[in-house]
Amino acid sequence: MQALAKSTPESNMKKYGSSLAKFQSLIALVILCLTISLLSDKFFTVDNAWNVMRQISVNICIATGMTLVVLTAGIDLSVGSVLALAGAITAGLLRNGIEIPAGNLYIGFTLLGAVVAGLLTGALLGAFNGWTITRFKVPPFVATLAVLTIARGFTMLWTKGFPISSLGENFAFLGTGWFLGIPLPVWISGIIVIAAVVVTNKTRFGRYVYAIGGNENAAKLSGININRIKIAVYTIAGGLAAIGGIIVTSRLDSAQPNAGITYELDAIAAVVIGGTSLSGGRGSIMGTVLGAIIIGVLNNGLVLLNVSPFWQQVVKGFVILLAVMIDKANSKND
Amino acid sequence: MQKKAIKNIAAIVLLLVVAYNSVYFKKLDEVKAAAVSKEFDAVTYASNYLTVKLTPQLSNAIELQELIQKVHAEPESTFQKYSHALGIGNIKYFLVKGEGVITAIGDDAVSLLLKNDSAQKEIKIATEFVFGNAVRDASGLININEFNNTMDFNNVSAEINKIIRSEVLPPFKSRVKKGDLVQFAGAIELNQAHVSLEEIEVVPVGLKIVKQ
Repeated sequence: MQALAKSTPESNMKKYGSSLAKFQSLIALVILCLTISLLSDKFFTVDNAWNVMRQISVNICIATGMTLVVLTAGIDLSVGSVLALAGAITAGLLRNGIEIPAGNLYIGFTLLGAVVAGLLTGALLGAFNGWTITRFKVPPFVATLAVLTIARGFTMLWTKGFPISSLGENFAFLGTGWFLGIPLPVWISGIIVIAAVVVTNKTRFGRYVYAIGGNENAAKLSGININRIKIAVYTIAGGLAAIGGIIVTSRLDSAQPNAGITYELDAIAAVVIGGTSLSGGRGSIMGTVLGAIIIGVLNNGLVLLNVSPFWQQVVKGFVILLAVMIDKANSKND
Repeated sequence: MQKKAIKNIAAIVLLLVVAYNSVYFKKLDEVKAAAVSKEFDAVTYASNYLTVKLTPQLSNAIELQELIQKVHAEPESTFQKYSHALGIGNIKYFLVKGEGVITAIGDDAVSLLLKNDSAQKEIKIATEFVFGNAVRDASGLININEFNNTMDFNNVSAEINKIIRSEVLPPFKSRVKKGDLVQFAGAIELNQAHVSLEEIEVVPVGLKIVKQ
């Protein structure tokens, strides 16, 4: 009886409102797709769908790592530069190997070796981020901003400011190949997403990540090794940025010294639009995937509609602002 | 304890397998010698392209004034039939030829009034700054897939332009005067999305002063 008595129109509205908030990204995506398809007949085509999926796969890789970082109430601004350095290291080792004139020695790298080296580069830089944040209590914003500059500098040093091109057909297959009718980058990002969903929802590590973001002190008092989890999270974010770098390099058949500039912003935007709270503890990987798709579709739609690249930046900025404002409003309601 | 040991051994074995399949060692001087023999010679390629491939094609190039008329009348089909380009951009290149009277001689180009042109169209022929990929791409005779890397491909353009600057332009520039009747062949660039025929500039491959 009591329950029935509580079911007032006001409480029902709140319930609907909260259900709507849960699906806000999906609703936004559907509205966006419908609007663009009305304005451009090229949007709803199979080729364009694959094109969008291929383009967003890199952002999904980065944004997945970023979600873990943001869930711990952190931020990683270095992912764009880490992506560039990992791509450059992979390309450089694959194409040029390492020359040791003193010993008349040439160390060549196979595809596997170069990819592993690129991944290790990303993971190491991520671990460095985590180490400075936890060991020296440097705010994540500052620590990762520093690594953004450091990694970009190393990329310039490694590439000498020039692209490293012609990396071979096998390497190009990673970014341009198809498997079972689906582009390989989509497979890669899909596997990463599935793994991240499992880790965040079904493992102790995932629960710790949410716990740290929700209330770090409480997590510490309950015996969670916060530093270890944070270092692991930043390491994963770095590794995933490296995977993004390898995909980008493979797609272009070239490691560009300027690759990945502002990619961190797209990743953060995907995370925020996907409903992950910037203050940590609340959000999901699937939300981020939706956020990345929204950004990808928005980019694609604006290009198809011949909107100037300058206006595209403005529109994207407003969409992010809107997403944060909705997030704040939801937090208040909660 | 035993489980942990098995895990560690498995990890080490995996690490060794990955390491073994990741790197290989060679003598540095052997690698360098092999690289030198494989190096692409852009100078020879560009020279062969100009003399063997492109020059015979110039007589088949479309007359510039005819092209202008066709672009005015049927832009889409004209671009489709006569232009070449790499990639999907709007910039397209045409191989053209023509004849006209020099109306002005500037620092970086000569102006020319096309002969028998009712529209009295004045065009320019570049005589100083020859750059870009117009000559390389206008004929459609070079396939990017023939090249191992984009740097080699771009070097071909650079060498073609260098040959034009050093061999085609100097004899022409030293003799040309206002009022000369000149025959030309070369490449032009047009933007298919925003076609502008007001300032056509030909990058010359062949220049001949017919009457002074």
